[in-house]
Amino acid sequence: MAVSQSFKTAGLLKELMAKYYEQGNLAREQGLPVVWVTAVSPVELVYAAGLFPYYPENFGALAAARKVADKISLAAEARGFFSDLCGYARCGLGDAYAKEHPVGKIVPPDLLFSCNTQCGSLQKWFETAARMYRAPYFLLDAPLIEAPTTRLIKNYFVEQLEEAINFFEVATRTPFNFDRLAEVLALANEACRLWNEILDMAALKPAPFGFFDACFHMAPIVTWRGTKEAVMYYRELKKELEDRLDKKIYAVPGERFKIYWDHIPVWPKLRWFSELFAEHGALVAVSQYTHSWAYQFDLDRPLESMAENYSEGFSNRCFEDRINLKTSFMKKYQVDGFVLFSNRSCKPTAFGLYDKRSIISERTGLPGIVFEADMSDLRYFSDEQVRDKFTVFFEQLAAK
Amino acid sequence: MTDRKTIKEICAQFKEIIAEPGLKIQRLQAEKPAPVIGFLPTDVPEELIHASGAYPFGLVAYDGLWVNRADAHLQTWACSLARCSFGMSLAGKFDYLNGLIIPHICDTTRMISDIWKQNRPYDFMENFILPRQVDRPSARSYLTGELGRLKARLEQFTGRSINGEKLNRSINLYNKHRALLRKLYQLHGHHPDLITNLDLFNAIKSSMLIPKGLHNTMVSELISAVEQQAREKQAEDNHGRVRVVVTGKVWEPPDIMEILDQSKVVCVADDLCTGYRYIANDAAEDGDPLETLAVRQINRPPSPCFVNREQDRLEYLTRKVNECGAKGVIFLHLKFCETENYDYPLLRDALSAANIPSVRVETEIGNMSQGQISTRIQAFAEMLGGGDIYGS
Ligand code: SF4
Repeated sequence: MAVSQSFKTAGLLKELMAKYYEQGNLAREQGLPVVWVTAVSPVELVYAAGLFPYYPENFGALAAARKVADKISLAAEARGFFSDLCGYARCGLGDAYAKEHPVGKIVPPDLLFSCNTQCGSLQKWFETAARMYRAPYFLLDAPLIEAPTTRLIKNYFVEQLEEAINFFEVATRTPFNFDRLAEVLALANEACRLWNEILDMAALKPAPFGFFDACFHMAPIVTWRGTKEAVMYYRELKKELEDRLDKKIYAVPGERFKIYWDHIPVWPKLRWFSELFAEHGALVAVSQYTHSWAYQFDLDRPLESMAENYSEGFSNRCFEDRINLKTSFMKKYQVDGFVLFSNRSCKPTAFGLYDKRSIISERTGLPGIVFEADMSDLRYFSDEQVRDKFTVFFEQLAAK
Repeated sequence: MTDRKTIKEICAQFKEIIAEPGLKIQRLQAEKPAPVIGFLPTDVPEELIHASGAYPFGLVAYDGLWVNRADAHLQTWACSLARCSFGMSLAGKFDYLNGLIIPHICDTTRMISDIWKQNRPYDFMENFILPRQVDRPSARSYLTGELGRLKARLEQFTGRSINGEKLNRSINLYNKHRALLRKLYQLHGHHPDLITNLDLFNAIKSSMLIPKGLHNTMVSELISAVEQQAREKQAEDNHGRVRVVVTGKVWEPPDIMEILDQSKVVCVADDLCTGYRYIANDAAEDGDPLETLAVRQINRPPSPCFVNREQDRLEYLTRKVNECGAKGVIFLHLKFCETENYDYPLLRDALSAANIPSVRVETEIGNMSQGQISTRIQAFAEMLGGGDIYGS
């Protein structure tokens, strides 16, 4: 991803991620269980249990960014998995069958821990992997939240966290350490706070940082959340951004517009999109996706507050809540237009966008589009169609 | 006994009910007014709807013509089952409904409920938010609570309270109903010449469209007619028939059952939402009715929508095949049904490791190539060796 390479911290990020993968290998060697986890799940439990959390979604994103997701996916498709499943899942499953590993080998799990706050695809992918690798599987189940959240759902989630703790205790044959959990949660709080302060800088006009940069710098908040490493990294990044502000280095030179982007980037086209926007003096300033890691845990009631943070993720909210979340971001960042990504891989974020587009435009008066593509699979990407859509969009912006 | 209806006549009635899905319920409603509450298939506590005095009504894909009607609101890569029901609703085909309950069993159902609410709301729109794991104790307590929530909402809407006694009566009626259909299923396995795949599955589906009491009478009559005919007939006409297990979500479009019948393939077990999964197990009639309904839901046959490592689907299916003396398995998949897609490769491999042949058939409502599917099924039947299973 060339977008942010000019950041000094880019080197640090590289080191940090190398260290992360190294730890995975080390865990393997030392016989420490590798736990597959999902992006929006209480990884704090895994760190507190002294286990190594491995993110197969991250593997998928990496393959997608390196433009090899469709290739790895073919190995899964040859086995009978279909090309309309989530692209990350196809990569994760495909790599296990593939002969070539262009982004390294996916690390096999000893335990699987998934949370369906994000989607049911993760639930199925992990279940399938659990069958494939014959490893114990725990699903942390998040019933959809129809505002306001109920006691019933919160209790269910807390009860499941207790069951999860038991699951890890059985695996480690050690009692769970709640003091350790408190430390991990405190570190997660700190990293999330820094991360969100960084994201907020995109609201400045002009801004030193935008969504495409955030996509690059988000790896540690996902993988290292709950450790000192993440805190250290975001301190550095924040310092660098402040420094850039002083020096008047901005993400999009001559920034004219700010844009809200819904959800995930099209990884293999990150560069393509960031250039397209830059050409029009537009900065994609905010997305609910990068803002997902905005957890704040109450150390006095750790499990309850984990339940709140993790069951109430945006993709687990009802229609109205999700519209409100989007429009509140649009307001906070004072955007001039919005882009909704109908991501073929991801039904829970894509279904409903057609109606949401018109409702949001009605409520905010902002121009907006929905475009079709896949976050990782270029077979579903039509340069021409997407460009046409965006041409109209930029015309609307300019006419405002 | 000339006043008795024949098998053909009763089966024709089931077919008619399905051909005009809302007709009967609207007539009944005119005679005895009560709200009609629809539900998407079929992990819903119908007993609760019944106990509230409302008419439960199952929405399956009744008319493939309307699939594209949903396109402005729902991507075309949603399954055609969801698109068809929603499209029909948008086209006003279900205007007689007063309410709709959508069970959250996958991302599509989870998302479609609000889209529906947005574009064609009925007076009563509720989600039934099921636990997606049924392995652990937490599932049971949560589900009991969720059933309580749904009960309260139904009470509010209908203005009638659902006490334990009423609910137990409904459970009893539904248990009877399921037992009758299971009996019919068994008869079909023994006498597929008297009661075909299509007859059997029509019987099950039509029961979602009319009151269970009424349907029970029809099924009872059918059972006696089949039993009588079986006693009277000289020899089984089972030449060339082959027994299989069908696995998937729904048997849509219905042509699929005709194809099976024509190919002399007998479905002796299945796990379809609109098949055996609908009638497989009962709720206990003593104890707290909400809890017994929760337990019934949790103990349903494994489905790809719920994590159930205690009773894994891999093992369940292999066992079913052996129990029923089936020769093979047909995967009946709707295009874009991702829960089935995820399970498929490993299920297929597990079956083949157990020397059980299988074939996968993909259907799409409103867009299905009859000829191709027919050829596939026939080839599969031939491969399984046709008629020797019923003895020669
Ligand atoms: S389980 Fe499959 S068939 Fe049912 S609604 Fe979901 S995607 Fe459609």
